Amino acid sequence: MEVFIAQLLNGLSLGSMYVLLVLGFNLMLLVAKIIQFAYPHLVVLSMYVCWGMLKYTSNVFLVILASIGSCIAINIATEPIFRLLAKRHGLDINVSFVVSMSMTLVITDIMSHLLNYGFPIAFPSKWIGKSVIGFGLITFSSGQAYALFGGIAAVLAFFYLLYRTRQGRVLRAISENSLLSSIIGIPTIKTRVISYAIAGLLGGLTAIMLSKMLGSASPALGDFVGMKIIATSIVAGLGNLKGGLVCGLLLGITESMAIGYLPGSWSNAISFMMMLIVMLIKPEGLFGIKA
Amino acid sequence: MLRVEDIFVSYGPIKALENININVNAGETVALIGANGAGKTTLLKAIMGIQKVSAGKIIFLGEEITNVGTDKIANRGLGLIPEGHLVFSTMTVLENLQLGSYNNPNCFNDNLESVFESFPILHKRINQIAGTLSGGEQQMLSIARSLMAKPKLIIVDEPSLGLAPKVIGEIFNILRGLNKKGYTILLAEQKAKKALEFVDRAYVMEIGKIVLHGPAQELISNPKVHNAYLGSKI
Repeated sequence: MEVFIAQLLNGLSLGSMYVLLVLGFNLMLLVAKIIQFAYPHLVVLSMYVCWGMLKYTSNVFLVILASIGSCIAINIATEPIFRLLAKRHGLDINVSFVVSMSMTLVITDIMSHLLNYGFPIAFPSKWIGKSVIGFGLITFSSGQAYALFGGIAAVLAFFYLLYRTRQGRVLRAISENSLLSSIIGIPTIKTRVISYAIAGLLGGLTAIMLSKMLGSASPALGDFVGMKIIATSIVAGLGNLKGGLVCGLLLGITESMAIGYLPGSWSNAISFMMMLIVMLIKPEGLFGIKA
Repeated sequence: MLRVEDIFVSYGPIKALENININVNAGETVALIGANGAGKTTLLKAIMGIQKVSAGKIIFLGEEITNVGTDKIANRGLGLIPEGHLVFSTMTVLENLQLGSYNNPNCFNDNLESVFESFPILHKRINQIAGTLSGGEQQMLSIARSLMAKPKLIIVDEPSLGLAPKVIGEIFNILRGLNKKGYTILLAEQKAKKALEFVDRAYVMEIGKIVLHGPAQELISNPKVHNAYLGSKI
């Protein structure tokens, strides 16, 4: 039972990280009509920023500000590239997919050549925090607690913004019909930039919480997380935010349970096997495509 | 109020509009009539900045709006009610109206009251998802949404498209009422008879050109118009 509770908490905190990334990814898909494959890589890059800042300052506030700020800034910096592409090719999701894929290679290369000589980075133990619950190999650290509560708060805030505020209404309007939105006077370019900023904010928060939760990062982490984010989004139904919420949490819990109860590291094999089965039965995703 | 001077629009090598000149004065109702493919919608799209204009000028309230962004044109007071009663179908009636008042959220409550006065049915359905409304109700919502922005000129594209005859009558009554309240209306309509009964003046379009224009009464009695658009000979 203790194992179950610990792994459930682990799963929820891991799952809420997936949810945040799936939400950011889907927001850009819905509003800006792009597949930003490099989004998880940007998040890993801001984990590197967080790690770099921790070397120079012990001011937690400054560290958080720098990593979130860098994620927002870099994400917004990609917007003109996608806007230019849209001008030449129309809003073509496939083109954005190929271009963002090349962005992942550039970002991964930067991390593996220029940062920490390509070695994985480890966050100081002070940053990760002490173990709160421990049963042999299974632990729940205070960093994971931060991730759990921070993740839930961020998800709630995101849905509040989207469904209860004027800005959220505008974002939803553009995602449904961008031409009609501009006809009624909504500035589409400005709103798209805002969607990049919100996705950047979600990514930056995730970077902080992931660094506390995992305690380390490597250049390959972006590919690893990216694959799961894309797969989860497709399984949930592309562009389906509520579906992303459920499936992100499910993925996190499935992985932790597999780690908790099965020998060896079968967690990835099991979660991707489940995704394969879902796609065979429901090709449009569990909750239906909304993009 | 709105002046279109010698505009040309082309889709690649195909000339969609050639040498179009129209003007709309404050308080008037003006129609563009013509068959499917005559270029009515293209002209409206050009005015709204949705379709790029290759030559010519569009002037609204003394300012040139040729090839300006659509949202900027809308915020200057041009309210397009697009064809096919377009609404944000996943959102509620209220949310649609809130979006309509994007550029002047301060007058939201006053505008909402006056819109509900003209469209009591929308008041009843205020929390209903717009996609579940009937075609006529969606068209009303589409008109109401554009009124929320207090436009100076209302442009209506094919308001009768896909609606039952009885509903079409209701929609035209609503437009008539809006004109009485002082709204200027530019209307593009295939159903020439309906349109000519409603407007002061009209332009007749054929394959991208304006072939005739004049007061509606004159056009109704013009044998050419009668044969081509009104279906019976005089």
